[in-house]
Amino acid sequence: MIPETPAFRSQDDVLRFLDDHQGLDVDALLPLPYPYHDWRDAPIGSLTADQQARYERGPDGVSALRIPKPASEDERTEAVARFLDGLRKLLTRENNWTFLQPLMLSLENCVQCHSCSDACPIFTSTGEAEVYRPSFRPEVLRRIIDRHLKPAGGLFPRLRGQDVALDWDTLARLAELAYRCTLCRRCAQVCPMGVDNALLTREIRKLFSQELGIHMPELHESGTLKQLATGSSTGLNPAGLQDIIEFAEEDIREKTGLSIRIPFDVEGAEYLVMHNAGEFLSWPENLQAFVIILSVAGVSWTMSTELLGYDSVNYGLFYDDVQYARIALKHHQVARKLGVKKMLVGECGHAHKALMPIADRLIPRDLYVPAESALVLLEDLVVNERLMLDPSRNDFPVTLHDPCNVTRSMGIVQPQREVLKRIAPRFREMEPHGVHNFCCGGGSGFAVNSSLNFPDWRTRVSGRIKFRQILEAFGDAPGPDVRKYVCAPCSNCKGQIRDLLRYYDAWDRSGLLYGGLVELVVNAMVDVQEGFLEWELH
Amino acid sequence: MAVLLLVWVWLAAAVFVVACVARAWRYARAPVHLRWDLYPVAHEPAARRAYGGSYLEEREWWTRPRERSLAGEVSTMLSEALLLHGVWVNNRRLFWGSLPFHWGLYLLVATSAGLLVVALGGWVDWLLPVLAVSGGIGGAFVTAGALWLLRARSTDRGLRRYTTMADRLNLLTFAALGATSAAVALTADGMPSAAAAVTALLRFTAPVVGPLLAAQMLLAGLILFYLPFTRMVHFFAKYFLYHDVRWDDRPMVAGSAMERGVKESLAYGVGWSAEHIGRGSWVDVATAPPPTIPGKKP
Repeated sequence: MIPETPAFRSQDDVLRFLDDHQGLDVDALLPLPYPYHDWRDAPIGSLTADQQARYERGPDGVSALRIPKPASEDERTEAVARFLDGLRKLLTRENNWTFLQPLMLSLENCVQCHSCSDACPIFTSTGEAEVYRPSFRPEVLRRIIDRHLKPAGGLFPRLRGQDVALDWDTLARLAELAYRCTLCRRCAQVCPMGVDNALLTREIRKLFSQELGIHMPELHESGTLKQLATGSSTGLNPAGLQDIIEFAEEDIREKTGLSIRIPFDVEGAEYLVMHNAGEFLSWPENLQAFVIILSVAGVSWTMSTELLGYDSVNYGLFYDDVQYARIALKHHQVARKLGVKKMLVGECGHAHKALMPIADRLIPRDLYVPAESALVLLEDLVVNERLMLDPSRNDFPVTLHDPCNVTRSMGIVQPQREVLKRIAPRFREMEPHGVHNFCCGGGSGFAVNSSLNFPDWRTRVSGRIKFRQILEAFGDAPGPDVRKYVCAPCSNCKGQIRDLLRYYDAWDRSGLLYGGLVELVVNAMVDVQEGFLEWELH
Repeated sequence: MAVLLLVWVWLAAAVFVVACVARAWRYARAPVHLRWDLYPVAHEPAARRAYGGSYLEEREWWTRPRERSLAGEVSTMLSEALLLHGVWVNNRRLFWGSLPFHWGLYLLVATSAGLLVVALGGWVDWLLPVLAVSGGIGGAFVTAGALWLLRARSTDRGLRRYTTMADRLNLLTFAALGATSAAVALTADGMPSAAAAVTALLRFTAPVVGPLLAAQMLLAGLILFYLPFTRMVHFFAKYFLYHDVRWDDRPMVAGSAMERGVKESLAYGVGWSAEHIGRGSWVDVATAPPPTIPGKKP
């Protein structure tokens, strides 16, 4: 992928290599099967001269963070000093009790066996570009710590492999590289030591965010900050929510013949349903499907109009512990105030992880409300026949994308399959699947980044292997004559798959439609008029 | 020379033990961290473990008793430690060097333990020949494994870039230790001399040894000196990586030691400097009014 040259020997060479090169060679990307055997990718766009003058780039020529170039040498020097301060803080219990033990263990015990390399969808999709090797970023961090933070760190630098120059250019590239990993954790899963390179990557993101204020703008300014200020990372405020709800009730009536009033702020309900508010705007049919299922099944539930109570998003999970804690606490406060028995997490992978296992060790029990996955409740409703279903309504090929946060990080694997077995007679698995799945390529916030040349990279590189998996799952009916459904029960994954299908022209070439699980359930419900899935709106 | 050997071996052993305990203690006393479990988790019941499922697949999981499979955990740990199962599945090219290297080390450790037994007066007649075999095979395995790994790290393009000079010296030292250990075991009076040396060391008297055994003891001491300061402490660090992180799926219970630990941590002062963080304890910053969006009025 990136050519090997005689000078390309040290970690520092790798970090700086593309300064003199033209970026990634898209012809070397993982090939795709029929009907994409003749597919030619457009090159990943270069930043314009103006953008290059304003923003730093990663060693691959891509910019995910739009880091402004320092105005002076003093600024560059100060940033290096602040980075080292942050690195020291990262290794203290006061500043990083949240992940200190996993950080120390993964930092200090990687034996560089590279078992992780073959598991990484990005490294393998690019023909093994060194900058994407899962152990590369952590090793750069390790060598900086070894040289600059350890006692006698300056002794025997060649013996200890201290070949990374600590300057602003290194830091800017390291920050960018921390956003070339989707935190999918396939690398950690195959590590014989149990080292987690994804965790180390997230720690690098944290250090840049919490100390230097460097983050992906979509996650911070347009993400957590906006959510804390307005109630949702979409900018949706309670008044806007009211409009959406009215529209949803009307749409449900028109499409299904059911007249349902969406319950809001019902004190003492069994469930507070927590949706990713991105669904309301981009996939309103997902909200509608939930409303139909919960109402028809007679579940006691409510939604909230409180700030943050109607948006389960918590992008802090991807880059910043403080922002994560602020949002997680608000979510629990809303549920506590309503007096609900539990929260139900809708089809959003990172919200699952943020509200369930991660919040579990953060929120003291007197403020805590337990949460359950919507996939688990759906399984119960479907298996115990609380919904009347006609699977023949879903008589088309269906495959399932497993969101990493729900499967690999939480072990919720079977419920969604039990549902699909009963509603989709032509369901087939991707390979590999379940806890061994491949990330969609939009994980850890990538799916919401559409700036500069990052979307080019996201569709061609990080999502490549997932798109190939989808095509392979439908290998028995590859053409557009058979319409097929990619079931992705996660908002961020859906965003990424939407962009993949668009980039690869997948409706016209292969007849691929994507959506969530609840939409497929409602499409099979006999209480609902036929045709809930709207293929024509692909 | 004999006195130097006495001091060298005892000092090396002391440094090894103290440094390993200190490092393990540092890992063990780290504060309770946020959950970061990764599936499959070995102590889930067999049916769930097979596909990587968890108790979060149950409705109202927090009200149900949790099933834990000790057998699953033990069998996973044993297959990792003894058969290097993860390396076999995920890194076959290194497996063929790594397995003999590890088995060789296990045999050398077992041989050393056997020599201690002999030195303390047990089963000399039949045990020494057994130790000669275990020491010989162990040493040969360590040497073969270390050289194999050295070759892989020198020829594989990816591994080479991540292999420092210190890594190469380390593997060479192990190869030399294995070779001298095997040579001692295979010479006629090797094991009796080794047993006598261990006896002398235990009595804090200077061991009288030949050049081969002296070289072996110097190399073993050298490795004991530096090993706890390297990534090779995975022989115990792996326990924490698996049990305290990857398989740590314990939910927090009201009034538990875990909850007390989390509350203590929430009282720590936050020292991060970015503008959006604010000042005070973790509780203070988490409950403070939201920071403003740059460029927008508060």
